[in-house]
Amino acid sequence: MSQYKFSERSEAFCQDLFQNMFDTSDAIYGILISTVDGHDVSKSFSRDMPAAKLSAMMSAILALGETIAVEAEQQQCRYVIVENSDGYILTLKIKDKLILSVIATTQANLGMLHSVSRNAAEKLAAQLR
Amino acid sequence: MSEIKLIITGPPGAGKTTAIAAISETAPVKTDTHTTDDLAAVKEQTTVAMDFGELTLDDGQKVFLYGTPGQRRFEFMWKILVEGGLGLIILVDCSRPDPLADLHMYLDNFADFIRQTSVVVGLTRTDHPDAPAVAEFYSSIESSGRVLPILEVDIREREDVALLINALVSTLEFSR
Repeated sequence: MSQYKFSERSEAFCQDLFQNMFDTSDAIYGILISTVDGHDVSKSFSRDMPAAKLSAMMSAILALGETIAVEAEQQQCRYVIVENSDGYILTLKIKDKLILSVIATTQANLGMLHSVSRNAAEKLAAQLR
Repeated sequence: MSEIKLIITGPPGAGKTTAIAAISETAPVKTDTHTTDDLAAVKEQTTVAMDFGELTLDDGQKVFLYGTPGQRRFEFMWKILVEGGLGLIILVDCSRPDPLADLHMYLDNFADFIRQTSVVVGLTRTDHPDAPAVAEFYSSIESSGRVLPILEVDIREREDVALLINALVSTLEFSR
């Protein structure tokens, strides 16, 4: 099956960016880029997690978030956040076809996590033009 | 007035979203996104979470229709969506390479749900030159120890979708 794939240069850019995000916040332990239709493209996990399954789930939850916003007569869902007893999972779109998901422990400051994720998404959108 | 929840599943491109859009009395809820893999050659968008629509039967019964994503990587959604469901419609696209295998994949994956409820099979694009005959579907299903209603449908037609739903509701009433 042909799937969305980064060039070596883009993959290297992503891995550098992921490292910067890890360096910015100790609480972040997983960063995943996937397609809007649920395929994993690039990742950096410091714990073992199923990237393929998470990618499908992230695409579903972001699509649901966008649809729920529209049904509630709101527009442009920016993030979907899963806050749970062990931490946060923040998911946001990078342009039309990609999704960035950032997974962090409860030690994360949600505002900080927002900021780091949004900045990363903007850099990725510019680089992956 | 009672309400029932029915699930529509089947492979990508079989017409699940189209079926719900064809029959829903309200604007259907869709979670379509761009396709980025081989499927892009067939369709630009695909359902990644669920479709939703609703209709009212002649006896006033309200039907809530939930469409699943077709790809197996979304099987976690299949388990979520069947919760509280009363019946299943499996759409099989007869223009795909192996429609019989497609059917059995969904029968196997929804086996737990099927054991508790009823199923109707809708065959789409049966005019495709390589489409198996309806009899082949019947014998294939019977060989796995099941007997299920099978209907040839044009899923773009409201009447055909209604036929599937009525067949399923009748099967549910008969099995009570």
